[in-house]
Amino acid sequence: MSEVSPAREVDHRWSEDEVPPSVTLGAGVAVIGAKAFARYFATAPGAMTVGEGSVMDGARFSVGPRARLRVGRRCRFSDAVVLVEELVTIGDRVYIGWGATIADADFHPLDPTLRRIDAEGCSPLDGAPTRPAAATAPVRIGNDVWIGPNATVLKGVRIGAGAFVEPGSVVTCDIPARARVMGNPARVTERF
Amino acid sequence: MADRSGDVAVSASRSGSDASGARRRIDGDWCDLGLPPNVLLARGAHVETSYSFHRFRSRRDPAITFGRGASAYLGTTFDLGPRGSVTIGDYAMLNAAQLSIDGHLEIGDHALVSWGVVVMDGYRVPFTPEGRRRLGETGRDPFTAEAADVRPVSIGAAVWIGFGCTILPGVSIGEGAVVAARSVVAEDVPAGCVVAGNPAGIVRRVADAGVGL
Repeated sequence: MSEVSPAREVDHRWSEDEVPPSVTLGAGVAVIGAKAFARYFATAPGAMTVGEGSVMDGARFSVGPRARLRVGRRCRFSDAVVLVEELVTIGDRVYIGWGATIADADFHPLDPTLRRIDAEGCSPLDGAPTRPAAATAPVRIGNDVWIGPNATVLKGVRIGAGAFVEPGSVVTCDIPARARVMGNPARVTERF
Repeated sequence: MADRSGDVAVSASRSGSDASGARRRIDGDWCDLGLPPNVLLARGAHVETSYSFHRFRSRRDPAITFGRGASAYLGTTFDLGPRGSVTIGDYAMLNAAQLSIDGHLEIGDHALVSWGVVVMDGYRVPFTPEGRRRLGETGRDPFTAEAADVRPVSIGAAVWIGFGCTILPGVSIGEGAVVAARSVVAEDVPAGCVVAGNPAGIVRRVADAGVGL
């Protein structure tokens, strides 16, 4: 791949979406899949950065207006969904499998009264109220982490370097470095 | 599986009607990949779109065999390695499942596989961080690497796998079993059992619901 002009084209495309200007792609980065930025709303320069040689194959990035997403070098995401309202930091050589979800927010308030307002705020009707704030907490994923297909990583979680998250796991709290985890909630089953 | 005598195998390499090795277009398909020649469809089998083969790398022939009336709908992905193969039984239905297979996957007759299900027979990456670091720095795609340790999966006849389940390497699911939505199956499931949870455990037997196999 070219060093100066990372792949901005898409195979089998069915939308005309471009890579947004606030996304900085390193050399040789490939973003495959026309829906990658369908829910990308960040405008600050460099709000999303992807390190050199990373491949985002079918991944989708839902990034809020003030959110920041940092992806390291030589990462591989395959049909994963990354939902960011505040900050998600992903290290180098992180692999994320099909159907996995990373989210740093609740997106909706816990309080049912506020959630009613939020539901109206989400509606397409004119004059919809401003949405109340929902809880967010940064997610940090270390270098050389493997996240299996269908896994879910929730807000506030730190996953230590070299951890191995089994497919389908739901990660609700911090994972130590070099741990193998599985289950819902994910528990350590082995250490490498 | 039912007797296939009289079936018309739709295959470019066998029917002789197409150029050898050509991909076949599916009527009405929005995706122009076409069906690979080493995919065999028995009479009445249906593949909605050839996009299901965008991660298909198998050189086996046949690599995939669809039984009579078997079907694979939009979102199903045959992520097969160079030596991967899948046999899909008669009337079995795959509805947006991801099959990441480097060995052989057997799917029995009348098996139903729901949306968002992942079936995998190997991990394709080393377990140790050092091994993954070496793989990562080669720039090779860990998702298309072939698993070093393939542990075949089998899905029995009349098995029903619910939404979003994950079937891990080495698992056999016995005839008539039900896997509840979002389960992660790490161990064999005996015939006629209902399993649920992550990791999945037996919650009851199908027979307890007053139905037989």
